[in-house]
Amino acid sequence: MSEIGKLSLFLAFLCSCYAVGAFAVGLRSGMAGPLRSGRRAVWAVCGLTLLATILLVRALVARDFTYRYVAEHTSLDLPAMYAFSSLWAGQEGSLLLWLLILSAYGAAFLWCYRKRLDPFYDAVAMVVACVMIFFTSLLSFVSSPFRILATPPPDGNGLNPLLQDPGMMIHPPILYTGYVGFIIPFAFGVAVLIMNRTGTRWIEEVRRWTLFNWMFLGFGILLGARWAYIELGWGGYWGWDPVENASLMPWLVGTAFLHSVMIEQRRGMLKTWNIVLIVLTFELSIFGTFLTRSGVLTSVHSFAESDIGPWFMGFILVSGTIATALILYRKALLESENRMDAVVSREGSFLFNNVLFVALCFATFLGTTFPVLSEAVTGSKISVSAPFFNRVNVPIALALLMLTGIGPVLSWKRATGAFLKRNFLIPTFVGVLATLVCVPFGLRGVYPIVCVFGAAFVIAAIVMEFARGVQARKDVDAPSNPTSILHLVQKNKRRYGGYIVHLGVVMIFVGVLGSSVFQKEAHAPLQPGQSMAIGPYALTLDRVEDAQIQNATQTRAHLQVTRNGKRLGDMHPSKAMYTKSQQPMTEVALHSTAAEDLYLILGGVNDDGSASIQAYINPLVAFVWMGGIVMVIGTIICLADRMRLKREEKLLA
Amino acid sequence: MNRTTLRLILVTVAVIGCVVWLISSGVKATGMQYMTVTELAQLTTPPRQDAFRLDGKVQAGSVVYDQKAPRLHFQMTDGKEAIGVVYEGLMPDAFADGREVVVEGSYRHADKTLHASKLVTKCPSKYEAEGLGKDRS
Repeated sequence: MSEIGKLSLFLAFLCSCYAVGAFAVGLRSGMAGPLRSGRRAVWAVCGLTLLATILLVRALVARDFTYRYVAEHTSLDLPAMYAFSSLWAGQEGSLLLWLLILSAYGAAFLWCYRKRLDPFYDAVAMVVACVMIFFTSLLSFVSSPFRILATPPPDGNGLNPLLQDPGMMIHPPILYTGYVGFIIPFAFGVAVLIMNRTGTRWIEEVRRWTLFNWMFLGFGILLGARWAYIELGWGGYWGWDPVENASLMPWLVGTAFLHSVMIEQRRGMLKTWNIVLIVLTFELSIFGTFLTRSGVLTSVHSFAESDIGPWFMGFILVSGTIATALILYRKALLESENRMDAVVSREGSFLFNNVLFVALCFATFLGTTFPVLSEAVTGSKISVSAPFFNRVNVPIALALLMLTGIGPVLSWKRATGAFLKRNFLIPTFVGVLATLVCVPFGLRGVYPIVCVFGAAFVIAAIVMEFARGVQARKDVDAPSNPTSILHLVQKNKRRYGGYIVHLGVVMIFVGVLGSSVFQKEAHAPLQPGQSMAIGPYALTLDRVEDAQIQNATQTRAHLQVTRNGKRLGDMHPSKAMYTKSQQPMTEVALHSTAAEDLYLILGGVNDDGSASIQAYINPLVAFVWMGGIVMVIGTIICLADRMRLKREEKLLA
Repeated sequence: MNRTTLRLILVTVAVIGCVVWLISSGVKATGMQYMTVTELAQLTTPPRQDAFRLDGKVQAGSVVYDQKAPRLHFQMTDGKEAIGVVYEGLMPDAFADGREVVVEGSYRHADKTLHASKLVTKCPSKYEAEGLGKDRS
């Protein structure tokens, strides 16, 4: 079986090489035959990769320990669903998942444009096939998942307990769907330069692909934060860890692109800048994979360090150089059609939005790689961690929050004084009011106050936009209010979907503010019968008991919890000792409401029989997760808008 | 160049200037020296700056854990020298003798102890290639 796996990956490698060759010949000669053949080869890569993945998954689920990968990452006592998800627990499997998603994107792309005989789309597919060559060769020659052991062990090493979590079943595939998907915008960008493509249709196509990937990447990042919150057991969800930063960076640049592309569509400006952003987003997502895999930086998430780092670095250098050379070579194509008319305008606000997003990404990049950079420049290694990122990124993020409120209501070209007054008077008033209401509840400090003001300002501005839209529609046809909002969104999905995404962003800001500034912490050793207090909660230890679960021994504390004297029920923070690895694993107990989370950790049982309990109150943390869901809903609404695509079609016809 | 372009450039430069200032002052205020245990242990004079980040291993048998406090004491080593570390907090799950750890905190030269504000345990390499022997050729 392993031979079939190896063979299918090798054939996938040959097919990707063939595809690039066929596309190149077809594009040069203008013959349809080679192009058709190239398209088929891309489909073949997808099929072969799927076959290889199925073979590996079969081996994992069957615990076939003749496979090195299976012996490394599973064991007989591992539940079947985690045996399945150990596909992405190690490097070889993760790379296979990368290739699977990459080839699926390639196939999906060809399917979407199957009726278009425009060779431009073949050029895009050629770029995708080039990236396929890189991954298939890695999997065939450098890091094969189908290595066979000389002497298969009776049992495998087992899966890292941290990865035995339902969140780990979905977080990596969703994150990868975002990461890997940036190949399509990148391929579009490069193909435009190669083919010297004019016209605007491709911009809308790229925008839609980017939006799709961006949604998955953002959602994947939040799932990762949620996993860290529940599994890592330190009371927080974001620690500015290198791997977290690695996933955030392409998201930030992608967000910048999604905004500045609107200026290009509307005014024909910033063309070069947009191509640069597309290329950067893709390179950063490869860089993220490099960071996770190379072991250059220390991270809680570096589950699999290895020697494939240089390959990725090489790939980034080569693809980055080619893209840069093409941009310089096609300078004339990227000439701007218009000039900026005023600083205070929609274009102006988008421009600053871009500067700030890229600055955020740059600061994050610098902080993440600081030890390496400072050693190269000054010879002494300097490292920065969470305090640096909070200090630098929080003010930039708050400036972006303010722009979220200001930008969308500014008019294109030039905003007049009267216009500003009409649009900003009410939001400013609401912002000040919200701040004044929050101060008695302990709101202190410049940043928290700016955050509350900004959040209220943005919400008021969005509500006003909706109200204005409903009013305008009412003048045309007068339906009742709730349905008219739906009509409004339906008529201009792109615009109002965007506002809903912004609403989600504000919710995340509120959640982050609440859980970082107002977090409470308490810890105490408790004998059975004793209580501790944290905020309005009282925790009484009932008993501690041991239980045997499938592949671990679990120590569970039973705590009775009351809030302001009212019984909430029992909570069970526990610690599991995994039989195979003899590694303890903290299992957090969580009581969530919209207002706050009560977060309990069992530190352990002491010699005198008492249990060490650590408790946190994390206010408003639920807003972070809900904000993420709202963002996804908003993005789906945006994606449902096909109006511009149709308009571009008409222009072509 | 018209006035609008000039204004745009001015504002952009101002924004970039602010960001550069934020970064440089941030590094100054929160940057930590990243040293090996040996380098730190062999310092004869107190370092100018006391914020440090260290990589190393937990010296076997050196761990003293007061779970009630909670407070964790251990010796960190790079094979040659050792440095004492105090961490006020729960012991991370993956923490054990011989594990690779990263600590960040302030170093007191007087008693050669690092008071860690952050302790990260690298995941044990046990889940990787160890102990499985060679591939079949």
